[in-house]
Amino acid sequence: MEFHIDRAKVLPKANVWEFLEGLKRRFKLIAPVKEGEKCSYKEISDVTTVELSYTRTVLPPKKYLLPYRRERFSYNPETMEFKTFNSIQEQVIFGVHSCDLHGISILDSVYLKENPDPRYLEVRKKTILIGLSCYPDEYCFCLSTGTAFPDGANWDLFLTDIGADYFVSIGSPKGDEIVLTLKNLFREIEKEDLELYKRSTRKKKEAFNRKELPDLERISQLIELEYDSPVWEEEAKKCLGCGTCTNVCPTCFCYTSVDIPDLEGKEVKRVEFVTSCQYPYYSLVAGGHYFKPTRTSRFRHRYYHKFVGFPYQVEKLGCVGCGRCSSECPAEISIVRTIKKLRGTDEKELREAVK
Amino acid sequence: MKKSLEKLLNKPLPADPFLPQKVVITDVEELAPEHKKFTFSFLEPSSCERWNHIPGQFVMLTVPKAGEIPISICSSPTRKGVIELTVRKVGRKTEVLHSLGPGSVVALRGPYGNGFPIGIMENHNVLIIAGGLGIAPLRSLIWYILDRRHLFKEVYLLYGTRNYSSVLYKDELSRLKERKDIKCLYILDRLETPEDEEWSQGREGLITDLIPEVSLEPKETYVAVCGPPIAYKFIGKELLKNGYPESQIFVSLERKMECGIGKCGHCQIGYKFACVDGPIFPLWDTKNLPEMI
Repeated sequence: MEFHIDRAKVLPKANVWEFLEGLKRRFKLIAPVKEGEKCSYKEISDVTTVELSYTRTVLPPKKYLLPYRRERFSYNPETMEFKTFNSIQEQVIFGVHSCDLHGISILDSVYLKENPDPRYLEVRKKTILIGLSCYPDEYCFCLSTGTAFPDGANWDLFLTDIGADYFVSIGSPKGDEIVLTLKNLFREIEKEDLELYKRSTRKKKEAFNRKELPDLERISQLIELEYDSPVWEEEAKKCLGCGTCTNVCPTCFCYTSVDIPDLEGKEVKRVEFVTSCQYPYYSLVAGGHYFKPTRTSRFRHRYYHKFVGFPYQVEKLGCVGCGRCSSECPAEISIVRTIKKLRGTDEKELREAVK
Repeated sequence: MKKSLEKLLNKPLPADPFLPQKVVITDVEELAPEHKKFTFSFLEPSSCERWNHIPGQFVMLTVPKAGEIPISICSSPTRKGVIELTVRKVGRKTEVLHSLGPGSVVALRGPYGNGFPIGIMENHNVLIIAGGLGIAPLRSLIWYILDRRHLFKEVYLLYGTRNYSSVLYKDELSRLKERKDIKCLYILDRLETPEDEEWSQGREGLITDLIPEVSLEPKETYVAVCGPPIAYKFIGKELLKNGYPESQIFVSLERKMECGIGKCGHCQIGYKFACVDGPIFPLWDTKNLPEMI
């Protein structure tokens, strides 16, 4: 639908900075910026700092929808009068890769399907997502998770690199409006552009090393079948329990809430923090019973929730194949390698076992 | 854009489910050491009328300055006007709550969770099994059944706890023992005083010992169980041994909860969330969900 020839436009690469400038005039502009070796999403003041060809940012764009520390409301402990905060600005997140767009769509399902969270909905309504095509590196496995392309996710514009230009797909009325207001920067689509677009899609598919990709067919069943596999303990032995994998994950949504009184005790703020299922107190209940007492049980829980829990809750895998948990893990635990080990198809391991 | 997702985003802003409502503590009763029963009333009569819950559901109670805690409702929905919560002093938040007296204003939101399947329990026998503090959520069910007694067949209550001093709702349970429409069997871990002896009529041991004493047709019976996590395995095994069908045994599970509406993730049991898919689960689920009991 969003690729319909009448809808799509072409943005010459020479006009990109002007396009970003146009966005910045109207909205709070958030885009990836290079910082040392790595990239991260930042609020942009100078559009020329925006990074257009990057593989992944350290943290996913989720931090602008669900801040890592957020205030829910405040109350007066004497009268129990509640005050909510409303200061949500319209923002545009530019340069979001396909996997992260899918990640945001999964968060949309979690936060909006049942018992919708009004704050998330408000932020989400005021957020415009502009996607950008990318090429995989050794950690990416979005082709296996079915999130390598933006189809099926929730976005407003998607820019696909087709050489000298960007092929711009329009995914929502909001996206259409942006194109209309900046229409002198775009040109109409030609037959050749469509060919180039198809070629770019093919090129991305070919950029994956198919042998390295995990087989995610019936992955929910695999995780259930291998629930008692020794692989969990083997991998969890390496795990430091630091929670990095969940903090950098574009779909992890667990949080913890704390009431913090001010110094005079006149006002109490309820603050929510991102937490991690990898922390021991995560499932501790009153009276001191741990439901996930060992590191192995917590380690396994992350996989179980991603591949069995999410499909049950939102009918999609909770993993979008962005590779962040593997690339950022200080203990070099790889989600792909764990899955391969569970399937019994990690060739390197097998080779070593034969020796 | 996917049709389903487009729909999600085009919704109007809902009322904030995280905002609690003000309630006032009208009564505090000390049930046993470290255990108190709090009675709450809404400050606005309209919220009071709107309040309706199912036995087995819970509320998120905001203890001023301390934070929010999930507590099972121990009053029956058939008795309107008040909400009762029985709270054991186990941590910082419950300690602050225990220091509050009548007249204190707190806040709560809910009711949350699925509750016992009271609709399908109708026209059947009901066997209620409570261990320790597990009697609290079941008290809601007991009074619900007794207030609509004609809808149910035989009713049994099995209650096991440490000793007489740790028995909750002592008067209420003693009066229940005298009623003809409910059969009550009580047991204590160890009989040390004459009071202990009198309360349990000489029964000493674990709650599972009472199950063979129940004379009900298992196929016609729904079972409601609540107790400490360790007890479920043994109670479940004993019930199955006595012929109760797995799909008719319901257990109430305890988990850490911070939101009550499936957003914070703490209460995950396997692929389910205790707050929205539970806290009442059929025993059948415990076979399919790892780490359940």
